[in-house]
Amino acid sequence: MTKLDPETRIPDPIELDAIEEARLRAAAGLAPIRSSTPEYAGFDQVGIPDRPPQTEREREVYSLEEGEMLINMGPQHPSTHGVMRLVVKVRGEIVVDIDPVLGYLHRGIEKLCENATYTTVLTYVDPMDYLATMHNEHAPAIAFEKLYGIRPPKRAEYIRALVVELERVSSHGLMMGFLALDMGGLTPILYAFINRDEIVDMQSAISGQRMLFNFFRVGGVNFDTNDEFLSRLGTWRGHVLKNIEMNERMITDNEIFRARTINMGTLSGADAISLGVTGPNLRASGVPFDVRKAHPYSIYHELEFDVITQQSGDSYARYLQRIAEIKQSIHLIDQIMDKMPHGPVQAQVPGIIRPKPGRAYAAIESPRGLYSVYSISDGGPNPYRFRMRDPSFISLQAMPKLMPGRLVADTMAIMASLDPVMGGVDK
Amino acid sequence: MGRRRALSTPALAGSLVRLLTERFGSDLRDLGTDEDTVEFTIDGARNIEVLTALRDDPDLDFFMLADEAAVDYGLDAHFEVVYHLFSWKHPAWLRVRARVDRSDPRIETITHLWEGASFHEREMYDMMGIVFTGNRDLRRIYMSPDYRSFPQRRDFVLPDDAADSPAAGVNPLERPETWDLSRFGDGSR
Amino acid sequence: MAVDRPTSDASAPIIIGDQARADELLSPFGMEEHPQGGFHGLLEVIPTKADYVLDLIRANSLWPLLSGLSCCAIEMMSTATSVNDIDRFGMFPFRASPRQADVLIVAGTLTTKMAGPLVRLWEQMPEPKWCVAMGTCTTSGGRFKRSYSVVQGVDRVMPVDVYVPGCPPRPEGLIYGMMKLHELVKQRRGEWRTYVDRGPQRTHWEGDVR
Repeated sequence: MTKLDPETRIPDPIELDAIEEARLRAAAGLAPIRSSTPEYAGFDQVGIPDRPPQTEREREVYSLEEGEMLINMGPQHPSTHGVMRLVVKVRGEIVVDIDPVLGYLHRGIEKLCENATYTTVLTYVDPMDYLATMHNEHAPAIAFEKLYGIRPPKRAEYIRALVVELERVSSHGLMMGFLALDMGGLTPILYAFINRDEIVDMQSAISGQRMLFNFFRVGGVNFDTNDEFLSRLGTWRGHVLKNIEMNERMITDNEIFRARTINMGTLSGADAISLGVTGPNLRASGVPFDVRKAHPYSIYHELEFDVITQQSGDSYARYLQRIAEIKQSIHLIDQIMDKMPHGPVQAQVPGIIRPKPGRAYAAIESPRGLYSVYSISDGGPNPYRFRMRDPSFISLQAMPKLMPGRLVADTMAIMASLDPVMGGVDK
Repeated sequence: MGRRRALSTPALAGSLVRLLTERFGSDLRDLGTDEDTVEFTIDGARNIEVLTALRDDPDLDFFMLADEAAVDYGLDAHFEVVYHLFSWKHPAWLRVRARVDRSDPRIETITHLWEGASFHEREMYDMMGIVFTGNRDLRRIYMSPDYRSFPQRRDFVLPDDAADSPAAGVNPLERPETWDLSRFGDGSR
Repeated sequence: MAVDRPTSDASAPIIIGDQARADELLSPFGMEEHPQGGFHGLLEVIPTKADYVLDLIRANSLWPLLSGLSCCAIEMMSTATSVNDIDRFGMFPFRASPRQADVLIVAGTLTTKMAGPLVRLWEQMPEPKWCVAMGTCTTSGGRFKRSYSVVQGVDRVMPVDVYVPGCPPRPEGLIYGMMKLHELVKQRRGEWRTYVDRGPQRTHWEGDVR
């Protein structure tokens, strides 16, 4: 707590209270509550008990100068996109520094996967990035196929690409809604969920589940397409572009939205690469890196699509990037439906597989960026090591770069433009 | 940028393998290729030297750190820190495996090469207990600060681990006669 | 409670403070002024009926806390938005502050690190309050039951009124759970409150608050 200097500024009522409390405690013979060591002052404000700072960075964030204070956001906060906690250091209304505290949703998925058979791993990875569940299954499926030395049938690859691109449309659509919601606009999220529910109905028609599908298998997919799926897909395809255009009209040219996103949270391409930011956030900074082009997996080398980039790298560019990618995904879905071959959807694979000892790395482009799996087999029925690299976990490191100098209210808008999902961040 | 082809045979990685042997010579061990990856093993103490060369050499130009992970090879073996790198110039992922001694798990941080390695390293410190010297922010990231074990190590066994059960391979939850209720939920693990 | 209003002046509102006309106004309701002051008659039975009315009001305007832990939160949001529209049951205002909420829908896996903050949220909510465990992770730990960092059921740290199974439950499932909760609220939930004893109870893990 800083010292009160009545000559230079109006005393803060909170400080007056603290001084009065200290006086009363001293009169009653009690020890003062707040410790006087400067590096503990910040800890006090966000409820960390007295302990020395563990690292250099922690000392930097939690020691306060004159006029600075810490605000604790989360883990229960309506717009932290889940259970994330942000410790924000502010000077007045301006953010000076920010420290994301993670782990409130850490479920130990990697450890559980190492204790599960290869087939059941695909159920454990579902809740990772729960807005891109199909993508979560795609990378492990590819990695295990590499380990086991099989290739899925062609039709299975096309169905995989189809459901994955549908999921991308749904996820990016929700991101547009959440971004507007975090700036106080309730309407777009309602429309975003209408669009998502259509896609969810399709996915539940093909896989039998609404969110955690368990649709991919080692060596194929679980089910072939069916009539309900195809008819829903046709209906959806008929009006999806119109819906997106309507959402776009609602948000893109909105004056408040533009004022709060343009030139906010600008991330340069070099910084983004250094920080490990991938996916739409990286492409919004002008770097044309897309795993579907850079290391084509599945059947993406047979499909035509563009890697779109934006130049400015601010929140608005990240929003525009999502819209452009939705349109590219719909373009891809058209091609997939045109080219889809006939045939089986599942290779002959036993229930418990024991791949030969070896290592495999599989990376895919999830809606949030490069999602990769590194799996080691020791010849047994379980993966010896199963490692997942989640894009939103790494993207969060950009926050201490983007926030300083902005208003507290803008931290949420900038964070929503990065589009993290806590299930993936915390594993 | 034209369309890139997936690396289907190890032969396509030939130029990269040749470049690597030229640059690093005898430092490389276990140089190998698989479907779309080129990998080699180095000594943990030389990671900065090798990774800096891989990043800054104009012919190699591995500008992006795709992944950084740790592997525990068991109580009587070693740890391994695995880097996956990406370059536009080579149609393969590059996997660099750096060995770390298990009795003194220390390795140099690479946060000055890629800032984004910081969260990876915090996670490895939290899960495996590997210390990255020079990392400015080596705190636990998932578990709370006063948590005392490293869950991803091989000697950390889940309470009803199938491998630990009397009938190996069968989950004891399916066999009520083997339930040891005193081990459930006391949280001391 | 169909009672005819006084025929003399049908449009006049009933004002108990108007002592001069009290008898005239209250007699259609079966009430009369007591010689020692106050009123007696049917009024004596109103307290029980008021409780019934209050329960009815509570049940049909439950305000949930805007708190989602993981995957189930997306389905909870889907339940709240236009397609499934939980507003039909008077539940739309998801409150961001626990002080204004009646129901805690625990939507998603509860980890040991989050258990402390969640219990604190629950304790901040004013009585009467109810808790709905949404999804298998919150009822038993679900697919993460074996994990080292997951609480095996939210009923280990707080009482639960309604369990909604599913991974995640469909929006219809959550709506059904909410209708069950309405029944519970109308039936005075005290007797119904469950607190399952499955092993030693723990509310604090290492450093759970931070």
